[in-house]
Amino acid sequence: MAVPRLRNYINGEWVDATTDNYNEIMNPARQELLCEAPASASTDADAAVKAAQDAFHDWRNTPPVARARYLHRLIELMEDNFDELSICQTKEHGKTIDESRGETRRGIEMVEVASGIPSLMQGYNLEDIAAGIDEHAIYQPLGVFCCIAPFNFPFMVPLWFLPFAVACGNTFVVKPSPRTPMSQTELFKLLDEAGFPPGVVNMVHGETEVADALMEHPDVQGVTFVGSTPVGREIYKKCGEMGKRVIAQAGAKNFIVLMPDAQIDQAMVSLTASFFGNSGQRCLSGANLLIVGDDSVYKQFLDKFVQSAAGIRVGDGLDESVQMGPLQNAASKQRILGEIEKGIQEGATLRLDGRKLNLVGDVPETCFLNPSVFENVHHEMTCAQEEIFGPVAGVLRAKDLDEALEVIAQCPYGNAASIFTTNGKWARQFRHEVVAGNVGINIGIVAPMAFFPFGGRKDSFFGTLHGQGRDVIRFFTDPQIVIERWF
Amino acid sequence: MKLNTMAAVMTFVSKIESESARFYETQANVFPELKDTFLAWVKENRKFEKLVKRTYFGVITDTLESNYCFETLDSEGYAFPTNLADGADPSEATGRAFEIESTIKRFYLEAARLSDGLMADIPRLFKKIAKEREERCRILSAA
Repeated sequence: MAVPRLRNYINGEWVDATTDNYNEIMNPARQELLCEAPASASTDADAAVKAAQDAFHDWRNTPPVARARYLHRLIELMEDNFDELSICQTKEHGKTIDESRGETRRGIEMVEVASGIPSLMQGYNLEDIAAGIDEHAIYQPLGVFCCIAPFNFPFMVPLWFLPFAVACGNTFVVKPSPRTPMSQTELFKLLDEAGFPPGVVNMVHGETEVADALMEHPDVQGVTFVGSTPVGREIYKKCGEMGKRVIAQAGAKNFIVLMPDAQIDQAMVSLTASFFGNSGQRCLSGANLLIVGDDSVYKQFLDKFVQSAAGIRVGDGLDESVQMGPLQNAASKQRILGEIEKGIQEGATLRLDGRKLNLVGDVPETCFLNPSVFENVHHEMTCAQEEIFGPVAGVLRAKDLDEALEVIAQCPYGNAASIFTTNGKWARQFRHEVVAGNVGINIGIVAPMAFFPFGGRKDSFFGTLHGQGRDVIRFFTDPQIVIERWF
Repeated sequence: MKLNTMAAVMTFVSKIESESARFYETQANVFPELKDTFLAWVKENRKFEKLVKRTYFGVITDTLESNYCFETLDSEGYAFPTNLADGADPSEATGRAFEIESTIKRFYLEAARLSDGLMADIPRLFKKIAKEREERCRILSAA
C-alpha cells in the first residue's frame, strides 16, 4: 500500500506542496513508516500568508460572537474525535496514550477559553476625560500571525495560539514540526469541517525555509514559537529587527526542591511524572532534583526516587501498561547518550543507568532509553546547567532553602521551579524569591491552564507578552484609542 | 494484569461493568423474580461506565500524574466468575451477584484511595460508584 503523503492546507483547500522533497515520518516505538511530509518551499508559505491576508478583512468584520461559534463547532468535533486525535499523537511522538489524552484535553481547553472572546477582548472607556470628551480603548486585531511549532506537543502547542488569534479576528498560519506533522494535519481536518472561511486558518509543512519565509513576510504581524533557546533567541532578534510581535517560549532546566518535611509518598508520584513524563521531552519537566536536608533525609529521598524511576515501565505508548514511551527519534537518543557520557566524565555518579534497556513487549530499541538518575551532581556541571530534554534526572544537595535558591539563581533558564514542603513559610519564601516564570508548590509539572499566561523568564522566554490567558489576547490585538467630542 | 496507568484502569472499568452487566442480563432472563432489579442494574452499569469515561476524558491533562497513580493495582485481585451451574436457583444467582458487587466495590475503593489527592474528580466518582455497589450488596443480602 502506498505511504500517505501529507498536504498543506491553504485557503480552505488541501494542496500539494511545491516540492519533491518529502521526509519519512516514523512511529518511534515501532519503527514503522507512518507517512511522508513535505519540506515545503517558501512559495508555499507565501501562498498561505497571501490567503490569510486576503481573508483578514472579512474575518475581522465577522462579529466576535459569530467567530466564537466556529470555535464551538471545533470543540464539538474535537470531543467527537478525542481518542483518534490522541492515538495519532502517540503514534507519531511516542508518548503514552494517557499523556496524549492529556494533551488532547489541554488543546480543547484552549479552544474553550478562546471561545469566550466576546468577553475577553472587550476594551474600556471613561466618560468625561475632560468636560464633554470621552475616551475609549478598543482592542482590534492586526492581521496575519503564525506559529512555528515544536515536536514534543504536536497537537496542543499550536492551540496555545491559533484559537486565540482567530477569535480576536486575526488569521493564522501554522508550521507544524517536521518531526511530528500528523497531529496538526488531523486538527486541520477538523478546522476544515468546522467550516472556517477560506484563508482564516492555514497550515504549511516544512523546515527552516518555511519558518524563515513566514517570519520575513511583510504581511505577517507576529510570530509565536515554542522550541529551543538558541532558535528562540534568533527568532526574537529577527522579528525585533522587522518590527514584528513575538512570543518565543524556549528551553528549560527546571529545579525541584525537596524539603525535609515534604510528604514524600505523594511527592514521589509527582516527581516521577515530572522528570520522566513525556520521556522528559517537555519544557516543564523536572530536570534537577535539589534535596535539602541531612544525610539521612538525602538517602531516604534519593533511594525512593531511584526506586520509583527504576520501576517505570517503558515501551510502546499504545500499550496501556506502559508509563514512558520512546524518545521521538533516534538522533535525540544519541544526543542524550552523549549528555549521559558527559555527566559521567564531569564526575557525577550514574545511580540509575537508563542505557541498560528494560522494555515492555517486543519493540525495536532504536529510540528507547530507560530513566537515568545522576547523583553527586554539582550545580556547575554541564548536566546541571544544560537542557537534556530526555529521561535523565540530576540530583543535587543543599543544606537549606537559602542555598537551594542560590543554586537555582545560577541557572541560565527560568521556565519553572517547584518546591515540595509542608511549611508555608518556606513555600512563600520560595515563591517570592525564585526567578522562574512558573512556580509550583507541591506540584511537579507547573503547566498553566488556558486562562492563565504561560510564564517563562531568563533564557526560557523571549518576548513581552506570554502565550495563553489575558496576555495572549493582548498579543493578538492592539488598543485603538478613541477620544471623542460632539459639538 | 497490572493496572498501573489510568488508561489501563479505564479499560478494566469497562471490562468489569460490561461483564457484570452481561451476567445480570443472562440471569434476568432465567429468574423472573430478579428481572426488574437485574435489568435496572444493567442500565446502571452502562451509565457508570459512561460516567467514568466522560470524567476521565474531562479531567485528564498533561499535568496529572495519571501514569503513576495506581502502582499497586492489579486486575488479578478483582476477578469474579460470571457463570452459574445449570439448574441453579435464585439464591445462587443473588449469591454470585453479591460476590460480583463486593469485588467491584473493593476495586473502586482501592482505585479511589490510590488516586486520592492526585486525580481531581476521578476518586470522587469511584467512591460514589462504590457506594452504589454497597447499596446493591445490601439489597442482595436482604433478598
